[in-house]
Amino acid sequence: MNTPFALAIVSSLLIGSAIPALAQAPEDAARQTVIEEAQAQKSETLQPYVPTKSERLVSKFESTYVYPTQTWHPFFDNAYAGGGFALGAGYMTHVSAYSTIDVRASYSIRDYKRVEAEFVSPRLFNRRGELSVLGGWRDATQVAFYGIGTDTSNDNRANFGFERPYASGVLTVRPTRRLLMLRGGLEWTRWDLKSGAGSFPSVDDVFTPAQLPGLDATATYVHSQGTVGFDWRTSSGYARRGGFYGVTAHDYHDRGDALGFRQVDYEVIQHIPILREAWVISLHGLAKTTWGKEGQEEPFFMLPALGGGSSLRGFSSWRFRDRHSLLLQAEWRIMANRFFDTAVFYDTGKVAPRSSDLDFHGLKHDYGFGARFHTPFSTALRVDVARSDEGTRLVFGMSPAF
Amino acid sequence: MRAKLFLFLLLVLTAAFSASRGSVATTSQHFYRDDPHTREPESQDASRAAQSEIGDLYEMLHNLFVTPKYKPSGVRAENLNTIDEVPDSSWFINRIGARTLTIDEVVRGPIAGAPPDPSRWVILREKLSGMHPGITARDAKGETWFLEFDPPYYPEAATGAVVMATKYFWALGYNQVESFLTTFDPKRMEFDPEATLRRPSGKRTPFTRDDINSILENVARRPDGTYRVVAGRLLPGRILGNFRYEGTRPDDPNDVVPHERRRELRALRVFGAWTNLTDLKSKNTIDTLVTENDRSTVKHWLQDVGSTFGMCNDRYEWDLSWEHFYEGGSTAKRLLSFGFALSQWHTVDYTERPAIGKFEGDEFDPRTWRPQTPTTAYMEMRDDDAFWAALRVAEFTDDMIRAIIQTGEFSDSASARALGDIMIKRRNKILATYLPAVNPIVTPRLENNQLTFDNAAVRAGVAKPPATYRASWFQFDNATGDTRPLSETTGTTTSIEAPRGLPTAVDSFIAVDISADAKEHATWRKPIRTYFRLDADGWKLVGLERMPDRRADGATERRAAR
Repeated sequence: MNTPFALAIVSSLLIGSAIPALAQAPEDAARQTVIEEAQAQKSETLQPYVPTKSERLVSKFESTYVYPTQTWHPFFDNAYAGGGFALGAGYMTHVSAYSTIDVRASYSIRDYKRVEAEFVSPRLFNRRGELSVLGGWRDATQVAFYGIGTDTSNDNRANFGFERPYASGVLTVRPTRRLLMLRGGLEWTRWDLKSGAGSFPSVDDVFTPAQLPGLDATATYVHSQGTVGFDWRTSSGYARRGGFYGVTAHDYHDRGDALGFRQVDYEVIQHIPILREAWVISLHGLAKTTWGKEGQEEPFFMLPALGGGSSLRGFSSWRFRDRHSLLLQAEWRIMANRFFDTAVFYDTGKVAPRSSDLDFHGLKHDYGFGARFHTPFSTALRVDVARSDEGTRLVFGMSPAF
Repeated sequence: MRAKLFLFLLLVLTAAFSASRGSVATTSQHFYRDDPHTREPESQDASRAAQSEIGDLYEMLHNLFVTPKYKPSGVRAENLNTIDEVPDSSWFINRIGARTLTIDEVVRGPIAGAPPDPSRWVILREKLSGMHPGITARDAKGETWFLEFDPPYYPEAATGAVVMATKYFWALGYNQVESFLTTFDPKRMEFDPEATLRRPSGKRTPFTRDDINSILENVARRPDGTYRVVAGRLLPGRILGNFRYEGTRPDDPNDVVPHERRRELRALRVFGAWTNLTDLKSKNTIDTLVTENDRSTVKHWLQDVGSTFGMCNDRYEWDLSWEHFYEGGSTAKRLLSFGFALSQWHTVDYTERPAIGKFEGDEFDPRTWRPQTPTTAYMEMRDDDAFWAALRVAEFTDDMIRAIIQTGEFSDSASARALGDIMIKRRNKILATYLPAVNPIVTPRLENNQLTFDNAAVRAGVAKPPATYRASWFQFDNATGDTRPLSETTGTTTSIEAPRGLPTAVDSFIAVDISADAKEHATWRKPIRTYFRLDADGWKLVGLERMPDRRADGATERRAAR
């Protein structure tokens, strides 16, 4: 009904009920008749409900992104950390009632490229298991390398690049549906290193292969991994309570028997709500330790690293690398409303050549403030401003820091 | 277009002119022979009404970010009859407060047919509405029901809430789904050969046992392996989708009053506060097309009233009923104070029991109560709407409240008792808040030369009797609207002698302004205007205008907030 007509009807009823007065009504007129006349008048202009433009727009967004069946979608994930802002697109479609295939690609302002396809089957083994099969290719042009160890200088940055085709399968099983989480995966990947682009010198101009194992190599890995964890967060994408305690073992088998190594990750996440979630203290600890297989060495580009938007946020990506790493993070999160949190955070950590050196001496620190827009189960946008002795950094992310 | 604009302007001007009350003469008939009418007519065939649904996301965004900026019109509800009452309609049937309801009637509520036979359930499809997990199934007698389960952390509470709430809202006058507590036994379950479930792919595929298991794994299970469920009977008629809390259905010829100006929809702010109906959104309503005698009309239902008595989407929704999902002011306060500007919900004391969610009566304030998202009708509520609602709430006796709670069939009697205590406390707060907020004079009668009436606030025990009642008497010309002062009489009780010289001719009209002098209640000095017509049996009340001049959530609420 158009507005003037609607208001005309309203006005006539206003007259007919709350403040009674109807011009020139006959003495024997009835209230019933007055209302019926309004109804008769409306019956001549009936029309189906037409959603407003904004309603149509939001409904389209909802059907496309909240309850997608098959759709084009934006894709912001970078080929590799440190690639800068990336923009891309994907097309997701269901191949069965629950399983999907998503083909996607992104390109970053630093010329990083990523093309991949992922098949996800989320309801295996009576909804206890999820399988992800992923294949793709990535090209990173200017990955930072500052040398090995914590005491490297920010001024000594060099860059390297790589292209990497990969294919992997990861199966996650929750035998008890809640709490216990088991994950196993197998990946084939090849690292083709190349000279670094950008304004910093290329790694191969600064270091020799003798100084940096893997510098001149093309490594083809068969990477197997297994995780045992206890996870009682509401979601890994956003949580205010619960925790995750897990251990992951990796075996990187180099087909050339030169750069094979093993790695174990120990990770703890604990969210502690305070006063009905007025605040949440979120704690994260992550230790990574690697060791080369007999007669083989870990390649420099695969060493555990700290620095970047999800570890030491006040340092640039890949700022510190060594055989072992320790990262400790704490966030004091303030729940502004159901969709928006802020956080004050502190990160500290170090890398070390020996696991016994992963102590609390010589830690690197940063601190900062962040804001997060989120749904009950996912983080839509995270913006952190982090300060360290190497400057202030702005971090954008579409996932929690941990 | 120009013709419609002209019509619009003409009618608005007419309304504005005639709205100025008092002794201004008009050439209009004030009351009709059938005033006050008791039934809103539905004269037109609505068979062309088509299904339309409101999107969840759109409604939430609109209600959170657009509706709060809506400036209430301050306009009186428009679906009233001349004595300030809501006539029966396809939206609302006068029950409690309009007639004497027995406890048995209230406990029966909307139930008209037999309960389901749970000896066998045949699965048909998923449940299409409601916040808790459920399914659509056919019972052993072949009737279709919507089954809803309890979450594991509130066994009995969600199902009990649905049953109890349907009784309350039925008694209050709303169309309610017939709901029964019953049992779902997976061992006595089978699948209809045509049973399907809509998958994330968008396709409907056969309903499987694993689909049922995925529901049952996340709901409260009894020790014997069965499940307590609430079964809602399939509504009669064709489903037309949700009704909206603003505007009218453009395809329903009988829907001529904008919904935000329907008193019964505005009053949900009060009834919602009492029962804690936090999910007060269009998505929980439904319109059906009912055809009788070859004529179709649209019937409007509050379909899902299960988000009551502390039931929520998960057990950590602490702010529910205290804040909308988003409020700019409290967000800013928390941001600027690093969260140290605590809100009431951070500290309010709940005694949570298996049968009761986050529901309490001690710190409850009806004026600061908040649904998840506001609606336009919620924003439009005025003090006279709230007063009307409070009158109905006042009719629920303690025994009636506790009897309704018994229909929740809680195994823990302490929970039932506590729930009753909370409802009584909340009822009393509603009465104390809204009954004295306007001139509370009700049920005026003119008999045997005596004007008698009730004071609803005094009767409810939430205000002291005023020192004096005043009645200003006028002769009233129904044809012109002219009034001529006759006299003024006073009294210290709710019975005041009428002056000499009242008209004696049948079909004569008089107007009487009734006010009260009470120190604590300035609003009582503002008279209600009543109109009486003399017919063969004596003076009959034909008009009552209470007309407060401020919003329900106006000055008083601001004071409370400070």
